[in-house]
Amino acid sequence: MATIDPLMTPLGQMLLEEITPVVMLISTPSVEEASLKNGLSFLQTLTPFCSFDNIDVPVRTASDQPYRLHKFKLRLFYASDVKRPDLKVAKEQLKQVITEAGEKEFPDSSSDLPEINLELSSSSEYQNTPSWFRFLNKELVRVASFSDHEAFDHPVICLLAVSSKDEQPINRFVEFFNTDKLPSLFNDGAMDPKISKHYLLVHDNQDGPADRASRILTEMRSTFGTNDCSLLCINSSVDAPFKHQDNPWASYITDSSSTPSQGLGCFLNMGDIDEIKVLMQDLSSKHIIPSMEQKIRILNQQVSATRKGFKNQIKNLWWRKGKEDGADSLSGPAYNFNSIESQIRVLGDYAFMLRDYELALSNYRLISTDYKIDKAWKRYAGVQEMMGLTYFILDQSRKEAEYCMENAFNTYLKLGSLGQLNATRCGLWWIGMLKARDQYKEAATVYFRICGEDILHSAVMLEQASYCYLLSKPSMLRKYGFHVVLSGEQYKKCDQIKHAIRTYRSALSVFRGTTWSYINDHVHFHIGQWYASLGMYDVAVKHMTEILSCSHQSKTTQELFLGDFLQIVEKTGRTYEVTKLQLPVINISTLRVIYEDFRTFGSPSAANTRESLWRSLEEEMLPSFSAAKTNWLELQSKLILKKHSQNVCVAGESVKVTIEFKNPLQISIPISSVTLVCKYSASTDQVISNEIESSMEKDNKVDHFRNMSSDNSSFMVSEVDFLLGGGETTMIELSVTPKEEGTLEIIGVRWKLSGTIVGFYNFELGQPKKNIKGRKTKDLPNEKFKFMVIKSIPKLQGSVHPLPGKAYAGDLRQLVLELRNPSEFPVKNLKMKISHPRFLIIGKQETVMSEFPACLRKKTDSVQSDLHANPNITSNTVFLFPEGTSVQGETPFLWPLWFRAAVPGDISLCMSIYYEMGDVSSIIKYRTLRLHYNVQVLPSLDVSFQICPFRSSLEEFLVRLDVVNKTSSESFQVCQLSSVGHQWEISLVQAPDSIFPSQSLMASQAISCFFTLKKSRRLPTFGDNMSTLPVRSNARLVPQSIEDIVYDINSAPLVNFHHYERLQQEVSYKGDLNTVDFVLISCPFKSSDDPGFSNPSSVMSHHACHFSTASTGPISWLVDGPQTMHHDFSASFCEISMKMHIHNSSGATAFVRIDTLDSAGNGGHMNSVNVVQSATTDNQAGWHDITPVNELKVTSNALETQPGKALSLESASSYIWSGSSSTHLHIEAMSSAEIPLQICVFSPGTYDLSNYVLNWKLPSNGQGDRDEKKQHSGQCQGYKYYLTVLQST
Amino acid sequence: MATTACFIIVSRNDIPIYEAEVGVAAKREDAAQLHQFILHAALDIVQDLAWTTSAMYLKSVDRFNELVVSVYVTAGHTRLMLLHDSRNDDGIKSFFQDVHELYIKTLLNPLYLPGSRITSSHFDTKVRALARKYL
Repeated sequence: MATIDPLMTPLGQMLLEEITPVVMLISTPSVEEASLKNGLSFLQTLTPFCSFDNIDVPVRTASDQPYRLHKFKLRLFYASDVKRPDLKVAKEQLKQVITEAGEKEFPDSSSDLPEINLELSSSSEYQNTPSWFRFLNKELVRVASFSDHEAFDHPVICLLAVSSKDEQPINRFVEFFNTDKLPSLFNDGAMDPKISKHYLLVHDNQDGPADRASRILTEMRSTFGTNDCSLLCINSSVDAPFKHQDNPWASYITDSSSTPSQGLGCFLNMGDIDEIKVLMQDLSSKHIIPSMEQKIRILNQQVSATRKGFKNQIKNLWWRKGKEDGADSLSGPAYNFNSIESQIRVLGDYAFMLRDYELALSNYRLISTDYKIDKAWKRYAGVQEMMGLTYFILDQSRKEAEYCMENAFNTYLKLGSLGQLNATRCGLWWIGMLKARDQYKEAATVYFRICGEDILHSAVMLEQASYCYLLSKPSMLRKYGFHVVLSGEQYKKCDQIKHAIRTYRSALSVFRGTTWSYINDHVHFHIGQWYASLGMYDVAVKHMTEILSCSHQSKTTQELFLGDFLQIVEKTGRTYEVTKLQLPVINISTLRVIYEDFRTFGSPSAANTRESLWRSLEEEMLPSFSAAKTNWLELQSKLILKKHSQNVCVAGESVKVTIEFKNPLQISIPISSVTLVCKYSASTDQVISNEIESSMEKDNKVDHFRNMSSDNSSFMVSEVDFLLGGGETTMIELSVTPKEEGTLEIIGVRWKLSGTIVGFYNFELGQPKKNIKGRKTKDLPNEKFKFMVIKSIPKLQGSVHPLPGKAYAGDLRQLVLELRNPSEFPVKNLKMKISHPRFLIIGKQETVMSEFPACLRKKTDSVQSDLHANPNITSNTVFLFPEGTSVQGETPFLWPLWFRAAVPGDISLCMSIYYEMGDVSSIIKYRTLRLHYNVQVLPSLDVSFQICPFRSSLEEFLVRLDVVNKTSSESFQVCQLSSVGHQWEISLVQAPDSIFPSQSLMASQAISCFFTLKKSRRLPTFGDNMSTLPVRSNARLVPQSIEDIVYDINSAPLVNFHHYERLQQEVSYKGDLNTVDFVLISCPFKSSDDPGFSNPSSVMSHHACHFSTASTGPISWLVDGPQTMHHDFSASFCEISMKMHIHNSSGATAFVRIDTLDSAGNGGHMNSVNVVQSATTDNQAGWHDITPVNELKVTSNALETQPGKALSLESASSYIWSGSSSTHLHIEAMSSAEIPLQICVFSPGTYDLSNYVLNWKLPSNGQGDRDEKKQHSGQCQGYKYYLTVLQST
Repeated sequence: MATTACFIIVSRNDIPIYEAEVGVAAKREDAAQLHQFILHAALDIVQDLAWTTSAMYLKSVDRFNELVVSVYVTAGHTRLMLLHDSRNDDGIKSFFQDVHELYIKTLLNPLYLPGSRITSSHFDTKVRALARKYL
């Protein structure tokens, strides 16, 4: 770019055109009249011939070396125009230009947004900046012309034109010099009034021959001098209007005049034009240039004399310093035209116009300091400006040039409104300078600085600045966007809406696709608003829809946006339809389609339960899939193909679609008429043809959206209205019900926002991400929404009531399953399965009407009848309703169910009922009804048991029951504890009154009570099957007087529930007969009055299973003998006989060996090692080493006995076992044995007879070996038995 | 404390991932978009400037009227931009450095996808606390 000639740049060209000598034209009315015949004023007639492209004039200015000018231009002005242009008029004109440009450039609303072409920056700026900018800038420069502080606008010569028609032409010439007619510049002393003149006589050839004219010319020549007079003949083309090939005036007079350019200069033939050309050329080369040369030389001499040289400089400096105090006005001192400062300025400007830039620069420099010292800021700025331009043209120092321009600009700005116009002009020149050097970024900042108070002006400047950013390298798109928006805002402020829209639209191309939300909202909102103000509502709505989901904005802004949007939509006067309305937001991932083919759902929650859960539940009930297929093959082989690709739904049954609507705003929005958009076709075999159609359909999908709403004769769609609050999310269920057989396709959803705007959402097909949960996974995505509608078949409706939503753990209820079949066809072969038999079991039909809980109570007459009830009646298998059960018509089919809240927590109960159609013509042979319920179970009583054997008697145990009420408010009455197990009988230790003084268990109260558990005495009466049949025995915890009820543990629901509890709580002791189960029956205390739970007659049961009584092993024994004895030791030692009862509670024969250990020698030191040794030394066949586990157990037993030993030592006496030291015996399963024992005591005292060891062993079987916990052999230390022997007297 | 200060984090894809008005001046309705406009436009300058220096803190890069844009560019070309009207170069530098550290901590979160919006309320609280401390 350094190689570019500055004069060839736009700025250089402009300078060559604009800073040229001014010719002041004064003409008489008759001259104008003559030229107006051509549609031109006289000035206009001359203007095209004022610029000379190929003259060759030698010029010699200050230096002696002449140079040649090849191009030259004159500016012609009427004398009346040589003054400051009227600002107001100029502004009006500018405004008009801008408005016109706005109309012209207003983008077509339907056109797409302009794409920013990045290539633009490589091309010239003039190709992409609008042309009216150039005009505007020129006007702005022109407005600042004819200022008194600069000399290049001062006329160089005065051209006086008088027509030959005028009376006394010589006098007319003289009259022109009445000073009052001259421009003010001459009068106020800014300019030398003695301007050189040229006298022109204009002759109109249409008025006759030029005789008179030439006569007058001779007269003129004699009066004014030969050289300064000339004659111009015009309008020579008398006969026919002359057609110019390329009209020279056309380019000069384009805008304002209404005359067609064709007619311009119609009476001027080529001869006239040549004459004008010659006249102007002579004027410039023979008069203007020489006179300027001369003036330069004179002035230069003067300046040299007064200012050049060291002496003059010092003098000047001193003189100015002294002057400083006086002149402090803003504009500085007034300089007369003959003051030296003015002369220097004139010299500089003349030199500039004659292109002696070096001379001009030196003079500008000279004067610049003077003005600065004088604080003549405006003149200073003007000179700085010229210096900058001179530097630029000389292409010398860029820095200097820019510095000067900036200096000038800032100085003008400092002057305030006075310098505003000049500042603008200066800025524009500066910009031109920067642009010439490709410094677009800097140019943009200058544009930005030019923006003054005038809004329109600044809008244009900002827009130009934005283009500069676009042109800069690399192009700064974001800056461009910002400044375009700024300019748009300014345009808006001065009502240039079209410009505003245009700028915002071009900004949109920058911001489109960005996530800078506030920016996007701002731009779209304003474009929308402005379009609306122009009445272009369609486009306005289009832009406004972009900003509707502005969740990041404040509430007031959201209200504003939505309010304006609705207002605009209202103005359109119709319901507006938008394909992708963003309000409310549709969460497509929540889309679910629920339809019923052979699966039917009792409730929405059933439909929401996982399909796999149902599958596993129904596995046993359904006929196998392959079997079903074979049936179809036989019946309707055609349909199989379809079955693979299409969903099936039944006419008259609705297909439901759930989808989530979300309101992103903080304000609530009313949504109405939410419906599904569906398509129905009557034919059912469209599988193939549909695929062909589908491509077609996609094209006119929107049409479908519009049409389908009315055409709903063959199906019915539900309509939903709701109000979405701020930030709310709502799940909406929509349904479509086909009425006839055929094919139904769900296309999308439509809704109305605020009753005026209709939004569509197309369930976009072929979108790979869409996942319709579990329900169907077909290959073709569009098949998911396509249903084959088959004719109506029966559908069962079912419910379970009254199933509580909440229950306390243990709560036992009787429920009824109610099934209805609204259709006229019967259904048969009913089967049912329940997911949680622990919670819900199926009762017997005869109990439907029986009273609850009375049916649970023991009735005297039917005690035995239920005893043999088989608990396996409700196993995991499918429950088959009795043969011949068929549901039809109005009468509901009832079946009892039992519910028991087994454990605390949230339980989801699933039931599936299978049924078959009576009518076989349909593809669907059977259906299942799926019921689903959620029950919340709250903790109620916490029950725990502890069992320990009684030492006083064999097969008697002490049971400790701990009950804690876990509820926060409820009181319970504990009614009854029943034991279920092998021949156990339970009875209370204390009286019920003492346990429950208040007869109830208050909230968070805990109690303990004790029971004795012993072998039933009724044992023999049950016969052979006693070992398999559990025996129940009850202990009532309620005082007799209050309630005379005993709950029958053997009644149907309780025994069944107990069965499942046993299965649930199952531990390893399978089949162990020594275990006992407890059932605690309680009921809410009568006084409690919580409506949520109050069911006064309800019963609660708590089951605790598999408590083993055999904590020490299968063998239990008891030493039976006297406690106190009197003996006369003086006579002999005492011999005491005792008996040991041993009981084998295991199911096999046990080997038992009892070793008695004498305490004489080492009674105090007996330990387990000895025990083991003694056991091994016996060397009995069939006895094995004791496993370490057992040994450890023995050790602990031995340690327990230590205190006892100490006691026996203290008594300082001992005893000896006098019987056999080791006894072996076999004890049969579940039987007892008795062995005699004898001791000898030698002195009175208290003896602990625990010095024996009992070894037992069970024959190991295969199952037992695998079970680690089960013991096969063991050794037990004898437990304490104190015997006191007293001396008898 | 600055009267106006708008802090924004711009991801390398020029997407704002965190925005906060941290000034004490009463919030004006149109301020938010003006701030976004200025900051968005300043990205052009940052683009040029970021490669001319090895320093992360670019000082003030752009201005609009009395509002100044200071920028800090991380190694991953995430830009921390602050629009402010106060002259507190040291404070702003410290602010940026501390926020950078916070940002790195956010990046270390395995559940945070780099380049996605920072929604952590903890981050927000910390940034505001830093703004009170330094600006």
